[in-house]
Amino acid sequence: MKPVLTFDKVSMTYYTKANETQALKDLSFDLFKGEFMSVLGPSGCGKTTLLSLASGTLKPTQGQILLDGKQVTKTSTDVGYMLQRDHLFEWRTIYKNVLLGLEIQKKMTDENVKHCERLIEEYGLKEFKNHYPMQLSGGMRQRVALIRTLALKPKVLLLDEPFSALDFQTRLHLCDDVHAIIKKEGITALLVTHDISEAISMSDRIAILSPRPAKLHRMHETNLSHHPTPLQRREDPTFAPQFERLWKEVS
Amino acid sequence: MKNTLFSPMHKRYVKKLKRNKIVITCAQIGVLVVFLCLWELLAQVGFIDAFLMSSPTRIWRTLADLYLNGQLFYHVWVSLFETLLGFLIGTVGGTAIAVVLWWSKPLRDVLQPYIVVLNSLPKIALGPIIIVWAGTGQKAIVTMAVLISIIVTIITMLGGFLQTSPEKILLLESMNANKMQIFFKLVFPANLSTLASCLKINVGMAWIGSIMGEYPVSKAGLGYLIVYGGQVFKMDLVMACTIVLCLLAGVMYFLVALLEKFFVKWKS
Ligand SMILES: Nc1ncnc2c1ncn2[C@@H]1O[C@H](COP(=O)(O)OP(=O)(O)OP(=O)(O)O)[C@@H](O)[C@H]1O
Ligand SMILES: [Mg+2]
Repeated sequence: MKPVLTFDKVSMTYYTKANETQALKDLSFDLFKGEFMSVLGPSGCGKTTLLSLASGTLKPTQGQILLDGKQVTKTSTDVGYMLQRDHLFEWRTIYKNVLLGLEIQKKMTDENVKHCERLIEEYGLKEFKNHYPMQLSGGMRQRVALIRTLALKPKVLLLDEPFSALDFQTRLHLCDDVHAIIKKEGITALLVTHDISEAISMSDRIAILSPRPAKLHRMHETNLSHHPTPLQRREDPTFAPQFERLWKEVS
Repeated sequence: MKNTLFSPMHKRYVKKLKRNKIVITCAQIGVLVVFLCLWELLAQVGFIDAFLMSSPTRIWRTLADLYLNGQLFYHVWVSLFETLLGFLIGTVGGTAIAVVLWWSKPLRDVLQPYIVVLNSLPKIALGPIIIVWAGTGQKAIVTMAVLISIIVTIITMLGGFLQTSPEKILLLESMNANKMQIFFKLVFPANLSTLASCLKINVGMAWIGSIMGEYPVSKAGLGYLIVYGGQVFKMDLVMACTIVLCLLAGVMYFLVALLEKFFVKWKS
């Protein structure tokens, strides 16, 4: 099987006047079609950098990144990027926020707009369509941010700790929702997180990064794909031992 | 969400808000009335010299005279025209320059010290230069009004543009947006409230510019009347014109504030 996204010995160094910071060092991995991979690593190790590189908004100082076998040199419409915070535009209604990407890529066709409306309805935001972001709760806002990304029908979805600002309850529910959406739309996902249990419950594989400069410490297989939802995965007997092992490796 | 069924508690709360507002409005009017009465009274009994300090009735009579011989609206119109023109050119021009400077970082870096110096310079010092270059007509006065408002506009708007969340810009970039789209979809709408406060500041700035411009050279306008009144010791005229100026600036500010409400609907 051919990988959708490949990191090939990627290094990334930030230069500022006062010093240079190496964020990634010789990082290599493959992400396959339909797969859900998480990236787990200590704070500040370079996880956001990894996603920015994959999205094409940042260029690696060494090595190369391939999307569908082609080198990534600029942003691609096949890649959706969901940032650490929802970044909804306060002056746009929910509906207008969802349509943002389509407006920018000049893809406001009837079909695409219908697709957005379907997503809004399906994910329980229909009655908030004409509200402004300020009137929504954190969980709802994050869901809107996800729909805004999905509106562009990405093949690969990059998620940067999308749940970190939410309380535990909301977080568990949203994890289930997002997981279901991603699997249903057949999207390949790369999720960055601090949260070990979130990584185990959501993903097929987990890339464990070392402290900065981030190298691949180990690739972990969760072997939990037979459970349909993250909540059910949390109840699997292998969940606790996996957690313990990863916890030791990360800290 | 609009709630149509209100609890009695909510009714009481709204009532209290309303009552507060009425009390404050009454107090505001009260202050004005007391001030005017006291002024009039002290002038009538001769405690203050009405020739130097004028008095409400004398001001009123002066205004009525000005109105009856057609002078009032003539001078008001002259000043208002200069101010509005200066306001418009200053705001639109300043915003346009701010856009250009946001767009080009090299240009911004090069021009920054000049803008800072121009900002700290008291623009009135440029008066003679402007008169020599633009003549003594309305052109010079409008130039002064533009000069005073444009620099503040550039600095305020550019500051707002540059503070746009870099992560929101990253989000748009990840969607393949070009710089033009980033400006029109994000940077400009995010700064509508900056623009609104800029407009409010510029109401004051444009009036300062036009009145100061009228002082040395003009043959008409409220600034002209004020200077003329001062020279011939007609304090009634000076006071009357000052009050008209207050009213005009107040109304203009109010209109701009109304515009702001319309701009930033989402805040309510
Ligand atoms: N634009 C930049 N310029 C200079 N250094 C940067 C820049 N962005 C990130 N860094 C540095 O690179 C390192 C990795 O940053 P990154 O944001 O990728 O970490 P992270 O793993 O996402 O952190 P967190 O867990 O806090 O989200 C940090 O030490 C950071 O200070
Ligand atoms: Mg991060």
